[in-house]
Parts: sequence; C-alpha cells; structure tokens
Amino acid sequence: MPVAIEIDQVKKIFGHDTIIDCLSVDIKAGEFFTLLGPSGCGKTTLLRMIMGFNSIEAGEIRVDGNRINETPVNQRNMGLVFQNYAVFPHMSVEENVAFGLKMRKMEASERQARVDDILKLVKIDHLRKRMPNQLSGGQQQRVALARAIVIHPRVLLMDEPLSNLDAKLRVDMRNVIKDIQASIGITTVYVTHDQEEALAISDRIAVMNHGVIQQLATPRHLYQRPANSFVATFIGQSNLIEARLRPTVSAYVLSFDDGYQLEINTLESGLTDQSVLVAVRPEEADVLVNYQPGEAYGVQLKKQVFLGMTSDCFVLHGENELVVVDAEGREFQREQSLGLQFKASKINVFTADGSRSLIRKEA
Amino acid sequence: MRKQFGRMWAGIALLLFAFFVIFVVYPLVLVLYRSVLNNDGQFSLDAFAKFFQNRYYWSTLVNSFKVTFIATFVAAALGLPMAYFFRAIEIRGRRWLNILIIISYLSPPFIGAYAWVQLLGRSGFITKILHAIGIPFEGIYGFSGIVLVFSLQSFPLIYMYISGALKNLDHSLIEAAESLGATTFRRMSQVLLPLLAPTLLAGSLLVFMRVFSDFGTPMLIGEGYKTFPVLIYNQFMGEVSTDDHFAAALCVIVLVIALLLFFIQTQLSRRYSYAMSALKPLQPRPAKGLRQFAAYVFIYLVIILAALPQITVIVTSFLETAGGIVYTGRFSLMNYENTLGSKNNRVILNTYLFGVAAILLIVVFGTLIAYLVARKRSKLTQLLDTLSILPYIIPGSVLAISFLYGFSHGTLVLSGTAAIMILALAIRRMPYTIRSTTAIIAQIHPSLEEAALSLGASPRIAFCRVVLPMMLPGIVAGAVMSWITVISELSSSILLYTSRSQTLTVSIYSEVIRSNFGNAAAYSTVLTLTSVLSLLIFFKISGKNDISI
Repeated sequence: MPVAIEIDQVKKIFGHDTIIDCLSVDIKAGEFFTLLGPSGCGKTTLLRMIMGFNSIEAGEIRVDGNRINETPVNQRNMGLVFQNYAVFPHMSVEENVAFGLKMRKMEASERQARVDDILKLVKIDHLRKRMPNQLSGGQQQRVALARAIVIHPRVLLMDEPLSNLDAKLRVDMRNVIKDIQASIGITTVYVTHDQEEALAISDRIAVMNHGVIQQLATPRHLYQRPANSFVATFIGQSNLIEARLRPTVSAYVLSFDDGYQLEINTLESGLTDQSVLVAVRPEEADVLVNYQPGEAYGVQLKKQVFLGMTSDCFVLHGENELVVVDAEGREFQREQSLGLQFKASKINVFTADGSRSLIRKEA
Repeated sequence: MRKQFGRMWAGIALLLFAFFVIFVVYPLVLVLYRSVLNNDGQFSLDAFAKFFQNRYYWSTLVNSFKVTFIATFVAAALGLPMAYFFRAIEIRGRRWLNILIIISYLSPPFIGAYAWVQLLGRSGFITKILHAIGIPFEGIYGFSGIVLVFSLQSFPLIYMYISGALKNLDHSLIEAAESLGATTFRRMSQVLLPLLAPTLLAGSLLVFMRVFSDFGTPMLIGEGYKTFPVLIYNQFMGEVSTDDHFAAALCVIVLVIALLLFFIQTQLSRRYSYAMSALKPLQPRPAKGLRQFAAYVFIYLVIILAALPQITVIVTSFLETAGGIVYTGRFSLMNYENTLGSKNNRVILNTYLFGVAAILLIVVFGTLIAYLVARKRSKLTQLLDTLSILPYIIPGSVLAISFLYGFSHGTLVLSGTAAIMILALAIRRMPYTIRSTTAIIAQIHPSLEEAALSLGASPRIAFCRVVLPMMLPGIVAGAVMSWITVISELSSSILLYTSRSQTLTVSIYSEVIRSNFGNAAAYSTVLTLTSVLSLLIFFKISGKNDISI
C-alpha cells in the first residue's frame, strides 16, 4: 500500500543560514510529486531531509502518520536515485541491484528472483554481468533506478536523476520512470530544475523559491493559472506588462499605457482601482497588422524567428521586449508596427508587485 | 545507531590524536624544553648563543644552505628539460629509462655518496685511470662531492613533478600560442614555463627540504666540509663529547628553518596553482637532426650518471676483497658470504620485519586519518590533520633525537627496542600516505556512501563494503611506495638502532664507515634488488609505468 508523506512546519539551518523555514506540504499516497525550482531554492535540501541525510531543526516529517525525524537513514526504507547515479563502481549490475536485498538479509533464491524481475522491468536484463564503467549514462540510470525500487521502498526519492543525460535520452528516460512509477504505484518525490520535465512527469508540482513553496498544483493548473509572477515566468514563458485595473459595472477593464483597453471577467470580485501586472504567454495574443488605436497593444517588430509550425515574433513596446507566437506563420517587415490583442480568458493578472494572482479560484 | 557510529569515529579520532600527542608532540616539546634548559637545570639561551657566536658551528648552517641551494638548482635544471623531452619527443627505451630514474630517486642518497667515493674518491676507480694518464686529481670530496650526489639523486623528483604537470597540460594551450604567432622560444617562456612554475617551485622546495636535512651524504663524502645535520649527529652521538643541551638547541634551529620552508611552500602553492586537466595532453613526437641528438645525449648522459652509483655498487658487490677493503680484481660471492651468510645476521630479517610493521601502521592509521579528515570534519579531526602532517617537516635525525629524549627513561621506555625504530619509520612516512589517501577519498563521491545507507546498510557496512573496496587499489599502491621508502631510511634509524635492531641501511652505513666496501656493496645490492622488485610489483598493481609522489 502506498503511503502519504506529511511535511509539517519543518525548518533547516546550515550554519547561520536558514535554508527552509516553516515549510509544510502533504504528499498524497501513490502520487508522483515534484519539487521544482531554480538551483539553491532548497528543493534538494528538502528531499535530503525526507531521506534523512539532513537533520530537521524544527517541525516534523511523518510517513504513513508516523514521525520519522529520528529514524536513521538505513531504517527509513526509502529508495533514492542520485543525480550522479552513485552506482557502485566495484560491483556488477547484478551486485549493485542486489546490495539492498543483501542488507535486508534476504534469502538467496528470493533475492535472485527479485533481482531478475526488476532487471527485466527496467530492461537491463542483458547487462547483468557488466561493470558500471562498461555502461552508458542511460544504462547506469536504469541500474540506479532498479537498485532503488528492488527493495520495495515505501517512498521513492529522485534527485535530478536525468540532469546528466543528453536531451534525447532525457525524454526517453522520463517516460521509463513515469511508466515504472505508475506500474508499481509508489509514492514518489522527484526533484528537478527542468520545468518541461516536471510538467511531463508529475501528478502535482510544488514550485519552490528561496525555501518557500510558491505554488502547489497540477501541471496544467500551474501553467494556466500561476499563483504569482515568479511561477508565471519560471514555468514556461510569460510577458509581464504593467497595466491599470478599473472596475466597471459588470466586470473589470485593463487599460494599458498606450490606451489599449481590454475587458476581463476572470478576476476575483471586489477589487479596487489599482496598478497590476499582466502576464501574457506568447500564445495568448493575436497579432494584428491593421488595428484601431485602443483596440490592441501597439508594438514594433524587432526580429522574427521561423520555427516551422509557428514563428516567434520578438517585439518592442518602448523598452519592454515581448515574445508572441504568430500561429498563421506570416512574414512581417522589420520594424513593422503591429497590434497585439490579448486573450482575456487566458491571461493572468497579478498585484503590481507580482506576489499574488487576482484570478478567481474557479477561473 | 547513527550516534553510536559517530561515537565510534570520534573514539578513533581521539585515539589517533593521543598517538600523535605521545609520539610527535611530547618528544618535540621535550627537545624544545631541553634546548632552553642548561646543564645546571636553569632556563638559558646559552646554547643558541654558543651556536651563533661560534664560527665553527654557524658555518655548518651556511654550508648547508650553500650545498642545498646549488644542488636544488642543478636538480631543477636537469629535471625540467628531462621531463619535457620525455613528454614531447619519442625516445627509445623510455620505459626502462623511466624506471632507472625512479630507482635512482628511491635509493638512499648516502649509497650514492659512497659509490661516488668508489669511483672518484682518492683511490677511486676513475681517479686511478686519471692518474694513470697523468691527470692530477685529488678526489671528489667536500662541497663538489656533496652537490654531485644530491643533484643526481634529487633531479628525479623534479622530473616526476614536472612530468605529472605536463601530463595535465593541454597541448591546445601551446597550439593556441602558436596560432597567435608566438615563436618557439616565446611559447616556452611565456606559456609553458609560467604554467609549470608552481609545480617546479613545489618540487624544488621538497628537494630543498630533503637535501637540507640529509645526514648520510655529507657524512660520507663531505670530509672537512661539515653541514648542519652532521653537526647535530656529532653533538648527539659524537665520540669526543656529547652535549644534549646543545644538540637540542640545534634541533630547534633546524625545525624553525623547516617550518619556515614549509610555510613558504604552502603559501606559494596556494597562491600560484592552476587547475589544469588536459583533454589533449602533449603527445611525444619523433624529433630529427640536432634536436634529437641533443635530447638523446642529454637524457642518456644524465640517466647513466644517476644510475652509475647503483651499477658500481652491484658490480663491486661481486668483487673479491682482501680484508674487505682492497679489491683483488677477481669476482666472487665472498661479500655475500661474509654478510648474508654470517651467523646471527638478522639485518635483512630486521629490515623486512620493521618495514612490514611500519607499513601496517602507516596504512591503518593513514587510511583512518585521511577518511576522518575528508569525511568527518570537526575541530578534533582538523587538529589531527595538522598534527599528522607535522612529521613531514621534521628531519629524521631530529625525530630520532626527540624520541630518545622522550622514551629513554620514565614511564614509556622504548629506546633500544624494535618498536622505537618501527614507530619512527611509520611516523616519518605517514604524512605522504595521508595525503595520497586523502586524494583517493576525494575521488569517491559521498553519494556512493549515501546510496549504501539509503539501501539499508549501516554506516559501518557502508564504509567496509563500499568506501574501503574502492580505496583499496590506491592504498595498496601507496603501501608499496611507502615500503620502498621505509626500507631505505637512514637518518633516524642510525640514531635509534642497537646491534640487535640493525637494518640494511644502518649496516651499509657502518660498513662504509669501517671502509668495508665489499660488505657494504653486498648489503646495498640486496636493498636495491628489493626496491626494484617492489617497484615492479607496484607497476603491476597500479597498471601504470609511472609513480606520483
């Protein structure tokens, strides 16, 4: 049975620096949970607290309802996959995978059967006698994965397991990981700084920055309705544009500095007249060649990059550089004046400091 | 469990710390104490005053500096081009030449000294030839003799240092300079030399420290030219008059100098070091014409000169002597019968036993200390690190004298035992092992140990099943190197031995002093053979044809 992990107001201090302060998050049983954030955001620190390599200065972590703060690493029964694989170089593939079972004093015949099964599952059955220095990066990764799951851990932890692989292999391996995780239904905590990887693989993602969880949501929700401007720019691309929010009788109007007015009805009710930050993703604007003043956001084309299916337009509004996608694949002139019409139902609006989304919960 | 394990490591650290306090700090403190306590038991600096006011004494220090500077310079001038030629030019027989260089480095310098006396001494082999063709030659004694022996014995160290640096030097750097229009001379002076300078400096300082504190060579070939270590030995062991108080002061002076040198070395190496790792190291290329000729002449000449003492020793060991001194001109195994064949001769057994015991101490302690320092950082392990490196700068004779102060009477009497010899040998070599083992541990990523823990291994099992097996090849290779160094040690053994705990080097030295050159040669040959065999084993284990220090 998969187990839930409750992280309850934990604190981590290194020397005089508080890396994580009062962080709480619940990881559901059996889910693929990702900690996503830039380097130094505390995601690996948190993972190592769950594993037990880092002490917990305050708060507690519970697995299946039981406090594990004081449980030694080797009794936590968690599988860990390292960034550098950490495959034992002096043991063959088979010996690596069997190591954890030997530690559990499992009988040889049963151990052999378990190793056989897992090697087949991760498709390295034919490499069992090889030494690690005869394996490619992807194969070593499979050994590391097999070694971590063969012990039937209660929790599987992965610390940027794909970051040392090349781009193509990364995509293959993340599918392998996702499939295996789904097939054995184990609660998994995955750490990465690669947002595309996180979106592709996770059930839920916690975006972290400066030791604080910025947003915890499904990949789709995270992309479409980011909780603040950090998440909006960290996950995918977002153009941030200053605007003025004015309440009207029925909804709100965003008015931009060049007179462009856009009616929007996805915001919370009761907002007053205020400055706001509008986040527009490249695909959330229509590019117009001819437009009336006030109907679109006026920009000048700086550069166009043709990508086949679409073309990216790099445009300038004063000093502010924006990126939009022209779905029709038209070719524009350099320095041509264009109008951008934002898709009111899709764009996001934050407080002027970007710290909070003004979008209604259900929108 | 984790706490228990932490306590285990803390306990080990504490034990090792106690070991170094008892066998390094305590004896040194006694030396220091004795140096300022005159023979009436009063505090006094009179011993230092005596040294610096009396020309007879302080001139030995000047002599030591002169000899050391010149020998270090010559060693660098020989070792640097040698290393470059070996890396840049294809040389016939490089494998064997390389081994010859290493052997001449590993053999104790005083054997070189006595071999050169055999060749160029007053009645030396070459001297006689010179006399026969009418060239007056008084023999190579004093300053020139010492410099000759030290230079030829030390250049291999510079060679090995530079050779290692060149291996990590990317050839693209030289090609880049070439593409930017630099001439050959400018490529050497503006790119190659500056990059090698830190290594050259580090190597030279090591040579300096070794040469400065060597006692056997100036003793055997110096004659009237007295150096500082000879003065220390004479003051402590001399037959005329011994002065403990004065000898202690001399020890303090040499310690201060060694400490200063060590400080300079660490400062310089901290400031001037480049992190280099070559994707495309220098490849030896065939050379033609004058360039090839010059390189071959230089290489073969220097290496033959360096190997000449060993060859001389081996050849003379098979020469028949009359009374051990005068060669009859016939070949025989007489020297071996007189030495190895004689009854109650425990010399070889002693050498091997002490060597093995010292190696065990070195390996166990060295590995534990290196692991503690690298992985279990604490105030105690940092202190342990500093303490264990301390013997690196203590000249062998000073260490021996401090041992005799510390363990001749009182609660722990060791003088005259095998234990005191073994301890001295182990402590002298330990710093090198700790450094090389630390480097080995640094290459083992901590995540491997963590992986073992995450899979359910206890910390002890993680260490024994994962860390230790990965360290083993490096440790064994290091142990073989230590073994070769330990069996060639003289400067502390000569002060600590008794007739029952005599070793090969001590026997060679005493036979030479008694002008029993035949016996000395036989002992030396046994020592050389042991070293060469060990070296071959080392190559076999490490799978390399090179050693790094």
